[in-house]
Amino acid sequence: MENLINELKLKIIDSLNLDGMTPEDIDNDAPLFGDDGLGLDSIDVLELIVLMERNYGIRLDSPSKGKEVFRSVAVMAQYIADNRTK
Amino acid sequence: MKEVSIPSGANLTAIYRELVGDYPKFFKMDTLSKLGFLLSEMLVRDDEGRFTPREDRAVIVFSRNGCLANDINYAKSMEDFPSPALFVYTLPNIVAGEISIRNKYEGETSAYVLDKYDRPLIDAIVRQAFQDRITRDAIVAWIDCPSDSEWTATAWIKTK
Repeated sequence: MENLINELKLKIIDSLNLDGMTPEDIDNDAPLFGDDGLGLDSIDVLELIVLMERNYGIRLDSPSKGKEVFRSVAVMAQYIADNRTK
Repeated sequence: MKEVSIPSGANLTAIYRELVGDYPKFFKMDTLSKLGFLLSEMLVRDDEGRFTPREDRAVIVFSRNGCLANDINYAKSMEDFPSPALFVYTLPNIVAGEISIRNKYEGETSAYVLDKYDRPLIDAIVRQAFQDRITRDAIVAWIDCPSDSEWTATAWIKTK
């Protein structure tokens, strides 16, 4: 799981063009959205949905599902581990 | 009048980590916004009562190339998947908004694209901002970044 979390952090940094950020800057359990965590917003959800589909073959059809899955990197990684098709 | 600048090609992430460090939205910004954000931090970080909402401070940004560097990055992303994260910075006035959001400034914000750095013209435009009876001072910046690795970036606070 730790490998998947680190891989996911690198993909998030790349997909969202978080230039200068390192995986160490992202706390596994910190919220991805809002000022308390990574500071992502609704625009970034689109990037994360594409990231999940392209890299792990997971399609999220419902925005409410995204809200649940994108709570933190740890939650996202667990969802990927349980549902990935590639 | 306090004036600050960031040398062309400086490591913006290193400056961020030294000056701020707890505003992760910085990493999402394009180079123009990063420069404006850091310049404003240099100017106001010791302000008394900082982060108290206020309407009396304007943010006025000038440049020659606007957000061209990010526009090019966004155009490149369209060859694959048009990046929403890049798209949101394809307006040159976003930098003024980023500074205002960070500091809870609720007054005038504007961005101008000029042919060249023209201080008399900049001063004249800033004077106009003081005509509204609300604005008492302004963060004024000249930030021109034709690419992500070269720029001129300077800012100052002009008082009415």
